[in-house]
Amino acid sequence: MERARGSQLASGLLPNQQFDPHLMLQQLKSLLIAFAVLAGGLALGRHFLMPKTFGQRGHYRAAAVDAIEKQPVHYAGREACAACHPEIVDRHSKARHQTVACEVCHGPAAAHTEAPTENKLPAPRTRGYCPLCHGYDPSRPTGFPQIDPVAHNPLKPCITCHNPHQPEPPHVPEECSACHGEIARTKAVSRHALLAFTQCHNTPLQHKVTPRLVRPDKPRTREFCGGCHAQDARSPKEIPRIDLQTHGSRYLCWQCHYPHRPEGD
Amino acid sequence: MEPLQEVLRQVTGYIYPNEVELHWGLLVVVYPYLTGLVAGAFILASLVRVFNVKEVQPTYRLALLTALAYLIVAPLPLLAHLGRPSRAFEIFLTPNFHSAMAMFGFVYAWYLMVVLLLEIWFDYRKDLVLWSKRETGVRHWLHRLLTLGAGDLSPRALRFDQSAGRFITIIGIPSAFLLHGYVGFIFGSVKANPWWSSVLMPIVFLFSAIVSGIALMLLLYLLSTLLRSKPVDMVCMDKLATFLFYDLVVDFSLEMLDFIHRLYEAEESIQILSLLVSSRLFLSLVILQALLGTVLPLLLLGSVSPALRNRGIVSLPDELRRLLYAGAAVLIQIGIFSTRWNVVIGGQLFSKSLRGLTVYKMQLLGLEGLFVSGFLLVLPLLVLLVLIIVLPPWPEAEQHPEAGAS
Repeated sequence: MERARGSQLASGLLPNQQFDPHLMLQQLKSLLIAFAVLAGGLALGRHFLMPKTFGQRGHYRAAAVDAIEKQPVHYAGREACAACHPEIVDRHSKARHQTVACEVCHGPAAAHTEAPTENKLPAPRTRGYCPLCHGYDPSRPTGFPQIDPVAHNPLKPCITCHNPHQPEPPHVPEECSACHGEIARTKAVSRHALLAFTQCHNTPLQHKVTPRLVRPDKPRTREFCGGCHAQDARSPKEIPRIDLQTHGSRYLCWQCHYPHRPEGD
Repeated sequence: MEPLQEVLRQVTGYIYPNEVELHWGLLVVVYPYLTGLVAGAFILASLVRVFNVKEVQPTYRLALLTALAYLIVAPLPLLAHLGRPSRAFEIFLTPNFHSAMAMFGFVYAWYLMVVLLLEIWFDYRKDLVLWSKRETGVRHWLHRLLTLGAGDLSPRALRFDQSAGRFITIIGIPSAFLLHGYVGFIFGSVKANPWWSSVLMPIVFLFSAIVSGIALMLLLYLLSTLLRSKPVDMVCMDKLATFLFYDLVVDFSLEMLDFIHRLYEAEESIQILSLLVSSRLFLSLVILQALLGTVLPLLLLGSVSPALRNRGIVSLPDELRRLLYAGAAVLIQIGIFSTRWNVVIGGQLFSKSLRGLTVYKMQLLGLEGLFVSGFLLVLPLLVLLVLIIVLPPWPEAEQHPEAGAS
């Protein structure tokens, strides 16, 4: 039934007319020719324009791999460095920078391995390079060694105090701002500027060595802030006072006031 | 560097370095807008042909030509966006069935060659033959060439034209759905982007496409009729407005469903998306897309058109009514363009860290700039003008075999 209707459609015949395959409609002939020309064009285009090695190994031009193979090699790899500098590579592979490959700091070394004396490799000795990883950035993980390049021993090259092959801080950070720069800078321009960090945070010394294992604590009660801000607190009278019983009694202070910048929104 | 610094100053929160600048700009906004108009105009034409909605017959041929004009221009924004547009044809030579983007060339070619051109050809063939017999000079040769040598005007041939046209329209409806559903599919299948990744995306795209297409046809029909100093067929306008209203209701419901679903699901991205909507996209999404582009046209069409009550809830004289229809159609165009903007640009404004927002800095000059995009939005109308000159869609231009043969 369906087929009969289809052939009827193709020939334009009425149901009571006989289908004659020689009586093909002019429209169909023209369209067939037009589409045949298009399909032929596509086939010809594919034949002449498609790269010969396309599809041999996947949906790409296989010869591209050979072309890429012929490109000059710039990097040598850590093993090549170890052949001549075993002591440094040995020390480096046990230190905290072990995941940072030699050529990250020294640049591509292939030419150096071919002719070591003619092609000397550079080593970063200025202050510009290390902060690429160690400059303070709030989106870096907590505990990752970060410094403020402006405030941290100005003008001294990093390698004066730090050995990049075996980096250990010469001593533990003295200030909280070494790692918590953003908070320190926020607090520095706030009304709490004169308060020491340790006034509110009880910070064990060990926090400076293993910051994520030993953490400082935070004030957990309303009464802590009340120590300065309650009506009966023994503190200079310029400090704003509140009645601890009635002022936002269901909330903790820092749900509304950011302690590092209390006058902010 | 300067534009980058300009953008960096407006970045808020934490954002990865490769997210500061948007990779898909205004041109990629224009592209789904144009394909939406193609699909919408074609669906309107299919209302006449397949669903026998006789009232909108006056827009049938104009809708087909409009769909063709917009389809011809639709790939141009993509080509202008490519770094190497001269290599674009290669997707036809080495089809990659695993890539939705690579298959677009074939969806496009199918729609252009098998659906639109064929339907227009079958619909116009009789007229082309009769015009070429009457005319001289360039028009004679042009029309004769367009018949592709098929000059048969026997009743059997004409009957075949009719049934073939109808058959192609039936194929054309799923094809139009495919063409625009595909655009939504591309966005909806970006798993890493919570603003895009939604199964509702293709279907929301599709219904907004139909809304924009019908609104465009309403405008074009009104303008073309007034410019030719012919009486506007208000029955047709009312029917168009009614369909526009119904489709807008479906489109709005789908978008609200998507919205509520996201809110209820409240995935980890909900906070940054709420921030995105209430800050960066407030104007384009809440004001332009939702209020001006959807709610206001819904109120206008719902009260004036015969969609809810036979003579409309507010009965107005024809001139005022069609003016309000045109106003609603313009608002809908602005709204749908904002929809595309909010999807394409909005999806790139927030960081994958879900903790920061960037801004889109639009260029004026250059291939990705405002002027090129503006030109690409006007170009389909110029192409349509040429198509109308070659293939007049007006009823008075239509030929009848008996009259032409004599």
